[in-house]
Amino acid sequence: MLNRMLVAVVVIPAVIAAFQAAAGASYQPGEEGAICLGCHAEKGMTTTFTNGETLSLHVDDKELGGSVHKNLPCSVCHSGFSPDQHPKRHYKSKRNFTVAKAEACKQCHTFKKGIHVQMLGSLKEGVCVDCHGGHAVQSMKEAGDGCFGCHRYPVTMTFKDGSKHRLEVDENGLKTSVHKKLRCADCHFGFSAKEHPERVFKDRRNFRIVAAETCRRCHFDKYTKTLEGIHFNLLLSGNLKAPVCIDCHGSHTISSGRHEKVRSAHRCETCHEAIYQTYAMSVHGKALLSSHNQDVPVCSDCHRAHDLSDPHVADFRNNIPQMCSNCHANDDLMKRYGLSTAVLRSYLEDFHGVTITYYKKQKNSVRHIAVCTDCHGIHDITKTKGPDASVVKANLVKRCRKCHADAADNFPESWISHYEPDFKRAPLVYIVNLVYSVFIPFMIIGLVLQIILHIWRYAVNR
Amino acid sequence: MPGKEKYKQEYFTRFNRWRIIEHQANAIAFVVLVITGLSQKFHDSSVAEWVIMNIGGIDKARLIHRYTGLVLLVLTLQHIIIASFGVIFRRWAPTMVINRKDFTDVIDNLKYYFGMTEWPARCDRFDYKQKFEYWGVVIGGVLMVLTGLILWFPTLVFRWMPFLPGQIIPAAKATHTNEAMLAFLVIVIWHIYNSVFSPEVFPLDTSIFTGRISRERMIHEHPVEYERITGVALEKRHPAADDEAGADSKDVV
Repeated sequence: MLNRMLVAVVVIPAVIAAFQAAAGASYQPGEEGAICLGCHAEKGMTTTFTNGETLSLHVDDKELGGSVHKNLPCSVCHSGFSPDQHPKRHYKSKRNFTVAKAEACKQCHTFKKGIHVQMLGSLKEGVCVDCHGGHAVQSMKEAGDGCFGCHRYPVTMTFKDGSKHRLEVDENGLKTSVHKKLRCADCHFGFSAKEHPERVFKDRRNFRIVAAETCRRCHFDKYTKTLEGIHFNLLLSGNLKAPVCIDCHGSHTISSGRHEKVRSAHRCETCHEAIYQTYAMSVHGKALLSSHNQDVPVCSDCHRAHDLSDPHVADFRNNIPQMCSNCHANDDLMKRYGLSTAVLRSYLEDFHGVTITYYKKQKNSVRHIAVCTDCHGIHDITKTKGPDASVVKANLVKRCRKCHADAADNFPESWISHYEPDFKRAPLVYIVNLVYSVFIPFMIIGLVLQIILHIWRYAVNR
Repeated sequence: MPGKEKYKQEYFTRFNRWRIIEHQANAIAFVVLVITGLSQKFHDSSVAEWVIMNIGGIDKARLIHRYTGLVLLVLTLQHIIIASFGVIFRRWAPTMVINRKDFTDVIDNLKYYFGMTEWPARCDRFDYKQKFEYWGVVIGGVLMVLTGLILWFPTLVFRWMPFLPGQIIPAAKATHTNEAMLAFLVIVIWHIYNSVFSPEVFPLDTSIFTGRISRERMIHEHPVEYERITGVALEKRHPAADDEAGADSKDVV
C-alpha cells in the first residue's frame, strides 16, 4: 500500500516532468516552417551562384530551434517566399547573397543611435549576420562577443590630429594570448554590441595610454607597483613616451613577461636601444642571444619590471651587491658555470662592502662607494677569466681612479680578487693569517694556563 | 750607592709622573681604538652595529679610529725615541731589555707553580711578565701604526714605494686585524688579571696611579731590585711566611 502511494506521489510526476522537458527541447516548427523544412531539412540541397560558388540550402532544425527567431515563420526573413511562391533569384556570389539577405533584418531591427547606426552607415564589409549568425541568430549576450564581426576587418578610427588607427584585431593572436579566456568587454569596459560609446582621442599615444588604464582593474598589484616606478612618474611629469602596460606586454597578443627572456629584452630595446646593444655584447647578453640561456639576467631582472627605480639614486646603487648575489651567491646556479659564490661575502667583508652596508643602515649615503658594477661594468659586464681578462684588468685602474684619483698603475693589484687568500694567489696574506692563526691560540692558551697555575699555587700556599 | 736607611721606607717609587701620564694616555687611546676598531672587525654583530650607529656612522667611527691611531703613533714614537735616547746618552739602566735570566725565571716560576721548588723566581725591577707586556705594547704599537697607515693611505703606498707587491694592502689588513685581536686578548686576559684580579694585587694594583709600591710587595715581587736599592740582602724564604711576621724582622743586614 505504502509502495503504491510512493509510486503515485513521487515517480509519476517525475516521469511526467521528464517527458515534458524532452518535448520542450525538441523543435516544433510552425505550420509554414514545417512545409519549408519538408525540403530544406535535406542535407544535399545546394544552389550555385553566377561565379560558381555553391551554398548549401540545408537548414539545421536544431540550429533554428536554438535561435531567438525560432517562433518566426520563414517568410518573415525570406520575404517573397511562401508555400505557394518560391521565386528563383540570382546572385553574383555567396557574399552578395549574404549581404542581400541581411537587408531583411532591418525590417524589424531599426537603429537610431549607437554602434549599429555607425556600422550600418559606414560598413560595407560587415552585415548583421556576420556577427549574429543566420538561422542560429542569437542575442549577443548568448553568442559571446560579436566584436570580431567588425573588428576582424581593418576598421579605423580617426584621432583629433587626423591620423587614423586600425582597429583590426588578429583573432588567432588573441586566442594564443594569456587572455584567451577573457571576453572583449572584460578589458574594453563599457563596450558591447548595444553600447559602443564613441570616444575621441587627441592622438594615437593618448589612445594607448588610456587603453592601458583598463589593466589595473585586474592587475591592481602590478599597477600599485608601477606607481613607484620611474616610467609611471615620467608619464606623470608629462613625458608621454614613457611606456604603459601595453607597450611592454602588447595588447591583444598579450603574454607573460616572465617566460621568454629574449622577448623581454627586446621590449626594452624599443626605447633603450644603445643600452641594449651594449648588453648584447656583455657576458650575459651573449649567453642569452646566442644560446637562449635563461639563467642570465635580462633588463627586468636587475631593474625590475613594474617598480623599476631610477638607477642613478643611491638606494639603487647600494643594493647592487644584493642584486647581483641573487644569482652569484646561488650555489646551484653558479656550479653550472664554475663560478665562485664567495663573491658577495668577500665583497661585504672588504672596506667597500662594510661601508655600503653601514650606509644602508644609516640611511645616508655620504659618498659613492664601489659596488660590483664599478669594477665589472654595468651593461658591458665581461668575463674576468679567459681572453677578456687582460682587458678587464687594464680597465680596472681607470675604474679605481674614479674615486682614488691618485691610484698608481699597480694599485688594482691590491685587490686579491674574491677568493680566500691562498699560498699561490696571495702568499703574504696567507702567511700572515696562518702565523696568527697559530700564534693567537698558542699565546692565549699559554697565558690562561699561567693564570690558572698562579691562582692554584696561591690557593695551595694558603 | 744605596743608603742604609732605605730599607726602612714604607714605599718605593716605581714610576715618575711622565710614565704615569704615558700609561693613562696609552690606555685611553687603546680603549678608543678597541671600541672603534673591533666594531669594524666584527661589523656584522649587533653590538658593533649599536656602537657604530651611536658614534654617528661608519665614516665617523673610522675617523675617530684613525685620529686615535695618530695619538698612538705619537705615544709609541716618543717612547721609543726617549727610551733609546735615555739608554744610549744618559746611561739609563736598560731594565726592559730581555736577558737570559728572564727565561730561567719562567722555568723557575713554572717549577714553583707545580710545587717542584720552594721559592718563586727572584725578579729584578721588571719581571718577565712585565717585559713580555712591555715589548708586546711596543712591537704591537709599531705594527699597528704601520699597517694602520697603509690602510689609511693605500694609494700613497704605491706612489712612494712602487716596488711593493699589490698584496701589501690585504696583508696589512690581515696583520692589523689579527694583531689587534691578539693585543686585545692579551690586555683583557693577562694585563687585567695581573693588575686587577690577581690575588696579589686585588682589588687593584695602584702603582700606576700613585707611582709607588709598598715595601712588602717590593720584597715579594722585585727582591733583586730591593736588595740593590737598600743594600739589604734578603733571605730566600717561603712567601707564605710573609703574612705572619713584619718584613724588617727577616732582613739580614
